[in-house]
Amino acid sequence: MHTHRGFRSLLVPLVLILALVGAACSSGSESSDSSSDGGSGSVAVSGSSTVEPISAANAEKFAEANPDVAISVDGPGTGDGFQLFCNGETDISDASRPIKDEEIATCEDNGVEYVELKVGIDGLSVITSTANDAVRCLTFEDLYALVGPESEGFKSWSDADDLGTEVGGSGDYPDADLTITAPGEESGTYDSFVEIALEGIAEEQGQDPVARADYESSPNDNVIIEGVSGSDTSLGWVGYAFAQENSDTVKELEIDGGDGCVAPDDETIASGEYPLARPLFIYVNKAEAAGNATVTDYVDFYMSDAGRASVAEVGYVDLTDEEWQASVAAWDGR
Amino acid sequence: MAGVGGGLGRPLSIGATPGVDLSGDPWRQRKERVVKWVLFSAAAVTLAVSAGFVIALTGKALEFLSNIDLGLLWERGWFPRRGLFDVRTLVVGTLMVTGIAMAVATSLGLASAIYLAEYARPRTRRILKPILEVLAGIPSIVLGFFALEWISPNLVQTVFSDAGTFNLLSAGIAVGVLITPLVATISEDAMRAVPDDLREASYGLGARKVTTSLRVVFPAAISGIVASLILAASRAIGETMVVFIAAAASGGSLYTVDPLEAGQTMATAIASLATGSDQVAAGGGQDAGQAFNSLYFVGLLLFAFTLGLNMIGDRFVQRIREAY
Amino acid sequence: MIRRTKTASMTATKTETATEIPDHHIGRRKLDIAGIVFQLALVASLLACFAFLMVLIVDVVKDGAPVFAERGTDFLTSDLSRDPAQTGVWQGIKGSIMLAMITLIVAIPLGVACAVYLEEYAPATRLTRFINLNIRNLAGVPSVVYGILGLVIFVQWFEGFTGGRSVIAGGLTLSVLVLPIVVITSAEAIRAVPQSLREAGFGVGATRWDVTRRLVLPDASPGILTGLILSLSRAIGETAPLLLVGAVASNFFTSGNAGYLEQLHGTYTALPVTVLTWARQPQAEFRELTSAAIVVLLGITLLANLAAILLRNRYQKKR
Repeated sequence: MHTHRGFRSLLVPLVLILALVGAACSSGSESSDSSSDGGSGSVAVSGSSTVEPISAANAEKFAEANPDVAISVDGPGTGDGFQLFCNGETDISDASRPIKDEEIATCEDNGVEYVELKVGIDGLSVITSTANDAVRCLTFEDLYALVGPESEGFKSWSDADDLGTEVGGSGDYPDADLTITAPGEESGTYDSFVEIALEGIAEEQGQDPVARADYESSPNDNVIIEGVSGSDTSLGWVGYAFAQENSDTVKELEIDGGDGCVAPDDETIASGEYPLARPLFIYVNKAEAAGNATVTDYVDFYMSDAGRASVAEVGYVDLTDEEWQASVAAWDGR
Repeated sequence: MAGVGGGLGRPLSIGATPGVDLSGDPWRQRKERVVKWVLFSAAAVTLAVSAGFVIALTGKALEFLSNIDLGLLWERGWFPRRGLFDVRTLVVGTLMVTGIAMAVATSLGLASAIYLAEYARPRTRRILKPILEVLAGIPSIVLGFFALEWISPNLVQTVFSDAGTFNLLSAGIAVGVLITPLVATISEDAMRAVPDDLREASYGLGARKVTTSLRVVFPAAISGIVASLILAASRAIGETMVVFIAAAASGGSLYTVDPLEAGQTMATAIASLATGSDQVAAGGGQDAGQAFNSLYFVGLLLFAFTLGLNMIGDRFVQRIREAY
Repeated sequence: MIRRTKTASMTATKTETATEIPDHHIGRRKLDIAGIVFQLALVASLLACFAFLMVLIVDVVKDGAPVFAERGTDFLTSDLSRDPAQTGVWQGIKGSIMLAMITLIVAIPLGVACAVYLEEYAPATRLTRFINLNIRNLAGVPSVVYGILGLVIFVQWFEGFTGGRSVIAGGLTLSVLVLPIVVITSAEAIRAVPQSLREAGFGVGATRWDVTRRLVLPDASPGILTGLILSLSRAIGETAPLLLVGAVASNFFTSGNAGYLEQLHGTYTALPVTVLTWARQPQAEFRELTSAAIVVLLGITLLANLAAILLRNRYQKKR
């Protein structure tokens, strides 16, 4: 008696749980059919977290028209992405820089041939508070003096005067609090900023290519905007599109990469005049593009007008028509 | 405790008269042996898990230590991607969060335990205690989000106007809320296990209820209370998502002892390494290639820390079992 | 442990009457101000805990409500999307269910078998004591460290079986994580089974396994079920280990027409990972979505926990 009651009290909830799970499973698998055709029917995209939104947007649009394909897009970073790509684990690798020589070597060792397609441009905006009238334009040297590895401990802009003069910047900064809010080291935006603005000067100075360690870092762009707008004499950097969206609370500074001050906008970034910008690529595995129809179709879509539109939709700068046609030609002529 | 039924398995052979075989069906015995071995292998899996921890962590941790300049373990801050592996930053960050959490959990948890054990009527306790235990079931990511979106702006930043959005204090408070039920329930069990003779003797001497609770019951239950605090501290040390969301300086943190700033704990350092960009193939400063491997080293450190605390806590738990 | 609590609850009921006596009969009729203040402080502490719970729930429900109001169940059944107006938690729920199922299949039988061995079969040797101690220590290892274990063993060593960063690897990691909880709760339930029940079994000549299977386990089943629910709720609520073993923290993936068995080797996400992904999106719309996803996650885990607690209390009282 005792036994029976005990056993039943265990059974009933168990059956309920199993039934629930079964229901959940069957409702999800209505569209699934049992056929599995090896590697095709699926696309694996990995690589740069910056390019990820474009690839994800295109994957989403592509999947709407082709509900049977499996596409996964993630963004562990350009370097990690190439490691997977050159081992043949992914079909497409997103990249926010051209492939490096040692990565080419890995790809060659593993017999992975690829085609490189430039798909857009990402601009970085250096931002300060809208209340900051003292600063309008900064050179790379200025940025190095204010946020480079040697600037650690500078609490006021003018603390950087000597260093700025030494590296060839203006060396004449306002005597005001310097509060910096920017993405942390684990982010791709940090990497780009350091590579474009700081790396060259850091090398000349015999320093590691890093930003100073003592700034407020956040993985959330909103927090960076809050931090920068929260202090009148702040400094920071975020992606161009996000800075544009918040142009009422933060001011985008002009940047001088050696050829005069340029303000970031769609034209100056697309034309390459604005120096704090980088090209975005996708690398497609040639063997997969030839053997896996889904990969071919997906990249075809990527290079179509609808695919091109995604670039601007997710906040990056569209290539000029000429450059876009060059990418399309590279894909067609693979 | 484990051997409770141990002796009862062989009554048949004990009473056996020489010459008469009472051992029963040999097939039954063989089946019994097989069952025992199957069950034992299940128990052995738990040993394998521990061995797995030791092997998985130490191998890579040693590889990490042999590849970096050991001086980097004690310098400026925790920035694995630029080759700064200051353990001090992580340990102090962990201690700050744990300290704050323990301050919250000790006061709220012990007070709740005393109330439930000594003051609440049985019916009240039957309703209140489950609610308290539900608190322990909140996923830590939810509490982390709550710490960032509610505790930080509404509590911490109203009191300390110079506190940042991300700060260790908010995270510590949220972790404290998370471990309060642990303190409260174990302490309450310990206090209720104190024999009534002690209470009656105290009342007999004319002591008031406060005095009895604090001076008689509390000291008598001290082993259990200390055990609850140690287990709670061990939980706080290893708590990841609350601190990761509410206080983790992304990328790394300079050495800091200010709980109003963002910082890193051992657990969040691991989570940051696992979620960042380009971790496996990280470039950057010297030794940055070792950045990802530092995860195993921190993991081993965290494992050792909590293991030590658990062993101590376990001693106290064993002591309550023996006390009465 | 359970048996201890049982006697404790008996003595506690006695306390209730015993403590009344001094107050009513011998007590000086002076107002005990310190006592009242003390009691108020205690109640305030307890209420502070509940206040946290209330504020948390009210806060997320308030923030998440617009999503449910506008989207209704569509939010629950939609796949992830980059577009905040279309995204949903379905893939997260599905991933969490798959993880919980694997945990159910792997950790529960293993844990219960281990508990049966320790309570019914194990001789009182050093090895047994060591296994017991080891399990208690495993229960205290932080979940993020289990993530490292999963990364090394299930993602790297057994890549051939798990397919790397797959839902199987995630499920196995969570199984190992909840194993100590299952063992400890089951062992407590088994220990609380009256010895007389076993003796009755042995008395009619049943083998140890028969006694265990027919008498002990059914009697301990509510306690074991409690552990099962608690560990499933834990598996659904855990985030940190999944970050290490590769749940996708991205705003889009699709499994296409892959069947459930194929999906076991494929890309996956989980409900708490979805929460983390959305919490990090810069667009304001995602803040509401994060709260709405939290409501779903909290709903599942809190209900499961409440069920487990009530179930345990009910069967404890019956004894």
